[in-house]
Amino acid sequence: MKLTHLLAITAASLTAVQAAPLTFDFKDPKGVNNVVFKLDAPLESINGTANGVSGTVTVDPENPGAATGKIVVTTASLTVPNPLMQEHLLGENWLNAKTNPEITFEIKKISDVEKDGTKGEADVTGIFTLNGVSKEITVDAKVTYLPGKLADRTGGKMEGDLLVIRSEFDINRSDYNIQPGQNTDKVAEEIEISLSIAGAAPKK
Amino acid sequence: MIKFLRVLALLAALGVVSAWYLLGADRGWSKTAIPVKKTDPVTEIEYVEYDRRFVPGVDFLATGLLGSAALFALTLLLSKLQTKHTS
Repeated sequence: MKLTHLLAITAASLTAVQAAPLTFDFKDPKGVNNVVFKLDAPLESINGTANGVSGTVTVDPENPGAATGKIVVTTASLTVPNPLMQEHLLGENWLNAKTNPEITFEIKKISDVEKDGTKGEADVTGIFTLNGVSKEITVDAKVTYLPGKLADRTGGKMEGDLLVIRSEFDINRSDYNIQPGQNTDKVAEEIEISLSIAGAAPKK
Repeated sequence: MIKFLRVLALLAALGVVSAWYLLGADRGWSKTAIPVKKTDPVTEIEYVEYDRRFVPGVDFLATGLLGSAALFALTLLLSKLQTKHTS
């Protein structure tokens, strides 16, 4: 969600170094990239994670506001600690992972970019698709550009840069046709989502 | 027989409570995966890895205690039937 913001920051940071757009790949073989989701419920809140993250973001350092990209989360990678809840979550009545295998966010616009060295923050507007329903949302994203840090992550096997994006936002499950108006006494309407992902741009 | 079933019901209840207590006394739902928070040293991203083990929750406790209570109730029923039969 905060990819746009990250892009803007990265772009600004990179301006002095290189002018060509950089494409950051968010498929992480280490499985560190993750999305945390939380829904309030009477006995205990339902906390889960998803680590099937992929997608790319391309940033032109000279024009960060024109960044483009899409982040994809595999629906089947959503995990909760209780096996019955897991079954329900991915089943027909909730996210229907078989019919809707991906949750996506596609960047449309970046605004209110604030930059502080290699860190930055921006409002990212994009199309968020969940359970087969697409809606335009705007989220706040914090971005950290880590030039030359890809080598540290790959044990020196690859040279390049990293872009870390963090974002927290809420959605209503009814907006995405997830049991609209049902079971509100058992599971909250609001879903808290927290995204922490790092993309790599290897040097060619 | 009735005495044996009552002892069994008591032992089952004690076993369920002990197992629940010793395996963490979790007041939420039973879990088969326990999230363990970790931090990536390069990106400082906090992420979760799951430790695959069973932690019984209140559903386990309730089911076990209800089963024990049902067994005890059965002994009361058997006792009543036995009294009726002898009189």
